[in-house]
Amino acid sequence: MARQSPEGKRLLPWKPLRPNPMTRRTLLIQLARLGDLVQTIPAITALKEAHEDWAVDLLCPAHLENIGRVLPGISTVVRWDGPAWKQRALQAEKEFRPEYLVEADTDIRAVVKELYDCAFVLNQHPRAILAGALLARDSTGAISGGPLDQKLSPWATYVRSVASDKGDNRVHLADAFCGMCGVAPPKEMMPMQVLSAPLPLDLDAIRQSGGAWLGLLVGAGDPERVIPASVLVYLITACLNRLPHSRIVLFGSRHEQERAHWIQAELSPSLVGRVWDTTGRLSLTELAQALTRCQVVIGADTGPLHLAAAVGTKVIGWYFARARLHETGPYGTHHWVWQATGGEGYAQPVSIPHHWPIDETIALLSNDQVDSVPGWSLWESHRDRWGAYYVQAGQEAIAPLQREHVWKDLHFAVA
Amino acid sequence: MEYLNHNLERLRRNAPELAEAVRHSLGGVLTIVPSREGSPSATHKGQWVHSAYDPKKEAGSWAEQQFQQWKADEVAVVLGVGLLYHVEALALSRSSDARMVVVVPDLSLLKDAMGARPLGPWADRIHWVTGTPEEMATQLTAQSSPLRFLTYGPAARLHVDVHERLQTSLSRMMARKTGGQLHVAVVGPIYGGSLPIARYVVSALNQLGHRVSWLDHHVHQGSYEAFGSYREERHRLMLQSRFADVLSLSTMAHLAEDPPDLVLAIAQAPLGLAVLQHLRKKKFLTAMWFVENYRHLTYWQQLAAGYDYWFVIQQGGCFDALKRAGAGHVHYLPMAADPTVHRPLTLTAAEQQEYGADVSFVGAGYANRRTLLPQWLSHEWTTKLWGNEWDGATALSGILQRDGARVDTDTCMKVFSATAVNLNLHSYSGTGMDPQPDFVNPRTFELAACGAFQLVDDRTLLPALFTSDEVESFRRTEDVPSLIRRWLTDAEGRRRHAEASRQRVLRDHTYGHRLQELLATVGLSQPDRIGSILRGDRLTVGLKERAASVPELLPLLNRFPAGQRVELKDLAADIRARASGRQLAREELLVLMMDSYRAETRDLV
Repeated sequence: MARQSPEGKRLLPWKPLRPNPMTRRTLLIQLARLGDLVQTIPAITALKEAHEDWAVDLLCPAHLENIGRVLPGISTVVRWDGPAWKQRALQAEKEFRPEYLVEADTDIRAVVKELYDCAFVLNQHPRAILAGALLARDSTGAISGGPLDQKLSPWATYVRSVASDKGDNRVHLADAFCGMCGVAPPKEMMPMQVLSAPLPLDLDAIRQSGGAWLGLLVGAGDPERVIPASVLVYLITACLNRLPHSRIVLFGSRHEQERAHWIQAELSPSLVGRVWDTTGRLSLTELAQALTRCQVVIGADTGPLHLAAAVGTKVIGWYFARARLHETGPYGTHHWVWQATGGEGYAQPVSIPHHWPIDETIALLSNDQVDSVPGWSLWESHRDRWGAYYVQAGQEAIAPLQREHVWKDLHFAVA
Repeated sequence: MEYLNHNLERLRRNAPELAEAVRHSLGGVLTIVPSREGSPSATHKGQWVHSAYDPKKEAGSWAEQQFQQWKADEVAVVLGVGLLYHVEALALSRSSDARMVVVVPDLSLLKDAMGARPLGPWADRIHWVTGTPEEMATQLTAQSSPLRFLTYGPAARLHVDVHERLQTSLSRMMARKTGGQLHVAVVGPIYGGSLPIARYVVSALNQLGHRVSWLDHHVHQGSYEAFGSYREERHRLMLQSRFADVLSLSTMAHLAEDPPDLVLAIAQAPLGLAVLQHLRKKKFLTAMWFVENYRHLTYWQQLAAGYDYWFVIQQGGCFDALKRAGAGHVHYLPMAADPTVHRPLTLTAAEQQEYGADVSFVGAGYANRRTLLPQWLSHEWTTKLWGNEWDGATALSGILQRDGARVDTDTCMKVFSATAVNLNLHSYSGTGMDPQPDFVNPRTFELAACGAFQLVDDRTLLPALFTSDEVESFRRTEDVPSLIRRWLTDAEGRRRHAEASRQRVLRDHTYGHRLQELLATVGLSQPDRIGSILRGDRLTVGLKERAASVPELLPLLNRFPAGQRVELKDLAADIRARASGRQLAREELLVLMMDSYRAETRDLV
């Protein structure tokens, strides 16, 4: 018996979802932002390594659906339409009607026809946890127990404690996601395969000619993490002057277009022809593809930095304000991160540094000797069987023992 | 004539009496003028009622705008007749089962419209209401569905007064029928004359069965006054202004934690424009009962656009001024009394001795009172003066009680009851009578509710509230002594007046009446929100009927009493309270999910 929604839409009948016992279907739930979604790749890879016969689907925000589709190992992407839920909640707040629940249920059934055997919930947000309870027979990941139990799982407790303690050489968030899924970090990491979506004609020439193509992120999702535009002008000028035949590609959202225009206006006219501005013009999949065309991507916006690392491009991150490499450093090997230390060690957040590692970043690009920079420390990423970790420049890449202990305490003890 | 006959014939099929009445009306109110496009348009006293270029296109645009507001289960009530182009466009924009009413204040208008152009089959679906505003309101209340008023401005402006009276009558009729439970947050002032009013409002809402959140800023009076103790005025102003901002934010935090259906601010409530705009952005509905003389206190100018609804104790110029300043809805809502507070008292002999007099006045020492009261002293009667701010009024020092200390409500009631003739002179900053005597002060209602006899200075809005058999009034200062003399010798007449005025208050002028009317007025313009709650659509019993197609919800709804209002947040709270140790059902998870988004939309702070 089909029912009518308030807007006249035909609705499916209400009946309990039945899991299909014949398959082992799993759903990874990642409802956070771009950076977190990309950092889910190791967990997907590890799940597939451990359970080759499992189908691993992904639930992600609707606007990240296209990125979700290109994550290696994902069978199907289920889009979570947050704006539709919000709209429905607004209506329900004005007047609660049972039909709204039917409508919500129908929308869910349209994308998830059968309950999953298991959901791996990677966010601690109540919505992700409720989604796990709605879409799968069993849920695991961020919490232990039912969807309203506030008890965090051991791995989620660990993630929360390192975020508050701000210790270094923690287990990387992407590897903690593996832990939440009950698997060890993957043995091998494959770069994300980006579909060859055509770029706008005028941008298609990026990397068609020789020389170093350097991506530069002009903004950041968090206003506190935005590098001053004047600093970027210096950085671009220095890069183009010191690296012959190099090109700069500016990346950013449409909100950052004006900033990009200002930066270009401040450049010497002789350099402008070597700067390509893509701000506000690329979809996420186009952005991913454009990032593959750069040899290095520099910036402070962690979402695109993670995406660049995932498509196989080297990254140089400038981390300040609340950004910390031990929590959100690019995943993989041989990425570099400048971490603002704020003087007495880097446990204290640094709002806006007084000095920026411009020359030193160019030294990194040129494989030259990198001098130390007051107020900053430089770190390089590595990976081993316990996942990713960072080692300060100039020190040996010895894997910190504490990660092994964490894994033994949280993972193997539980397993 | 051909169109008229044809259209009247069509009208006769559904409303024969109306058709006959239209035939016999005079017509000729509108001047029919061809539009550029060729179809007839119309003017009234030189102003266009429809577009001079293309009336149909203009009507179509208007109908399209109304379409957004008009919900499927509502009856559209169109204000403005004109040549009915807009009514036609509206009727054709909806399916044939949509219900529409057109208010016809003057049958001549309908005759003009019917003579100007042919009406199609759409006209058969129109229900026409005619008569006095009160009669039309009665016809509208007979509609079983929520009413959605849609105003076609160019035509409606011909009968603005009629429409206002219609809506006032309708609000009062609806007020008597309302039964649902609203959640109202009452925001009171830090101090001042509107503070007791806020308390009466809270009490009345509680008695009407609504849930009230009382944001009582009086608790902050000490701090506010402390900030006012600095020598330099700029320091005082800056600190008190910042303090008011903090209280404004505190109000917002309270509203975020327990979102009401309506935020009702009483005059002087510390809510700034920025906060009001933020509340509107977050879909909170706000109303202000401005129980002040708008000519004296003018801070409404900064807040006019901030509140969704203004209720004022004055009419005419007050309405115009507020609307010019950006107010959307302005309604007249006079003062009232609270019969649980303002009631007749039986005094002991000692109390009668202390509080009694032939003539009394209770109030603050405004300039007009300082000038006029001495003129009304006489050796023929005893007079007592109660209240504060009388410093320097030497002519009155002999009758000033308690050295001019502020008197509390209890003392007021005793004075009212113990006095033969209570003088009630409205405050005015000039030395004579108020030259613009419109609003009626709370004292008038309070004296009446106490069963006390009063002599009040006449107000233009008084006759609509009390008859001369209920309250005696005066227009000229020189008449007061003779009136006192006359009434002092007529104890039975005083008793009759006092009792009649008390009965009138109980019948029409309590805060309960006012709040019912206020809520009904808001409900009338928000039929799908406040109106729906007032009609009881949100009660468990109603929800269960609607949940017939979702039987899984019934166990959730059965947990609430039939007469209790149930909202999404209530369902979610109940589920959370019972969640421990059990598996949640799918519908419970859906409720919780939806509620998590609801909570986000109300995240104010």
